[in-house]
Amino acid sequence: MRRSLTAGLALATGTILLLDLLILNPSLELVAGGVVELLILLAAAAAVGGAATLAAHHLPDLARDGPDRWGAVMLLGGMGLILVAGLRPGSNGSSDPAVNWLVSALLVPIASSLFALVFLFLLGAIRRGLSIGTREATITVVAASVMVALLLPVGGAPGAALATAAAWMRDVPLAAVFRGLLIGIAILVSVSAARILLGVGSTDD
Amino acid sequence: MSENPRSDRRAPANAALRQAAPVLALLVLLALASLVPSDLAGAALRIASADRTRAGGMDAAFARLPERALVLVAFDADLGTYAETRPVVRAAIADLRARGARLAIVSFTAEGRALAVAELLRLRRLGAGSDEIADLGFAGAAEAGLIGAISGIVPRAAEGSIAEAIRSRGADLDAFALVLVVSGGDLSVRSWVEQVLPRVPDLPIVAIAPTFLEPELAPYLRTGQLHALLATVPEGLAYVDGVPAADRSRAATVGAMPMLLGLLVALGVMAQSLLAPLMRRSRPDRWRRIG
Repeated sequence: MRRSLTAGLALATGTILLLDLLILNPSLELVAGGVVELLILLAAAAAVGGAATLAAHHLPDLARDGPDRWGAVMLLGGMGLILVAGLRPGSNGSSDPAVNWLVSALLVPIASSLFALVFLFLLGAIRRGLSIGTREATITVVAASVMVALLLPVGGAPGAALATAAAWMRDVPLAAVFRGLLIGIAILVSVSAARILLGVGSTDD
Repeated sequence: MSENPRSDRRAPANAALRQAAPVLALLVLLALASLVPSDLAGAALRIASADRTRAGGMDAAFARLPERALVLVAFDADLGTYAETRPVVRAAIADLRARGARLAIVSFTAEGRALAVAELLRLRRLGAGSDEIADLGFAGAAEAGLIGAISGIVPRAAEGSIAEAIRSRGADLDAFALVLVVSGGDLSVRSWVEQVLPRVPDLPIVAIAPTFLEPELAPYLRTGQLHALLATVPEGLAYVDGVPAADRSRAATVGAMPMLLGLLVALGVMAQSLLAPLMRRSRPDRWRRIG
């Protein structure tokens, strides 16, 4: 029963959105618009649920001693700060100047500096990966070394030759692998969707 | 019991400092390299691509805009790759402003919204008024939000001459003469081509994207679904070089010297790590001594 209800809902919404894409009809557009609005509301509810779960998970850490306590203080304090700035009386919500300042002066620089560490972590991972001595790690690092050498910002004729070789690497072997992956994923998703809609091989009831 | 407690206390700190020394040295070297003026490197170092085909495509798309055109900037960059596209995005916005376009900025991802807010505040500090740039805010739910925005993109609370101009043209995506998609990993311009173009086929779309999206997006440029695409650092900087209004200060663009230094360090570490097992096999006694 549960499976047929889920499959029926998925089939109905999928058909409505597909028909709206193919046929110009105001009534169909209205129904499809309603479905999209519902999807947006569901996504918003999922986001709020996720944030509430995160807060509930870290709330008990406040009462415990240890390093997790300070992590929980930072997390819940940050969440509280943004919520107060966005929900206080007279606030413009997510466009409020206080929220904008918190985001641009604190959140973006902190998160960006964490991403800047990826360069160092990647070099550390390369050293550790090669010290284990697997063939896959060696092939990956050799290929990465070739690409890094081709990307060196050298001027003149040598630079032009490197740039041409880098463009060929990107446009031919890399693009072939990437598109192959995309096509494979698309086929898998289509097959999975068809199986769900037709109720083939499902074990959820 | 130890004879010298003070040296015992210092030992872990010294060990930690020794471990961190290469990283600190790299940071100092990168900082020093970024201070070297680009003129000093001369023709020996060059990041910008000599091939201006794609940069020319972006120029041509902007040149086709009518006077006081409404341009939507869909700002969905992500924090991990925005450092790569930032100089190009800033140059494109400066270029559009210099051409008299009226910009409306919207985001469909949370990271995109955070970065858009930072850019909006920067533009306001530079003197951009509400008659030049409008903030259309955050439309969540990624692709569902994108489809929802096709028929209504202006929030009820949005005010100002640009918001009114969009409302007077139907408040949907048809109101815009061009969409500039600042693409990231979470929501790429592929979603625009797949979800928006079938519904609004006459909407011209141009995009700025990080390098890793290039193989995914290049076919859309060849088929004409994208009017222009800048998806690598050399292409982007070739475009920046041709924008008179772009900020070319040291802090605003990518320096050739720090880029060269970073790549050489990466190459050195990779070569050393690849050769280490071979060296260990050929000279086991020396490696044992070194430890």
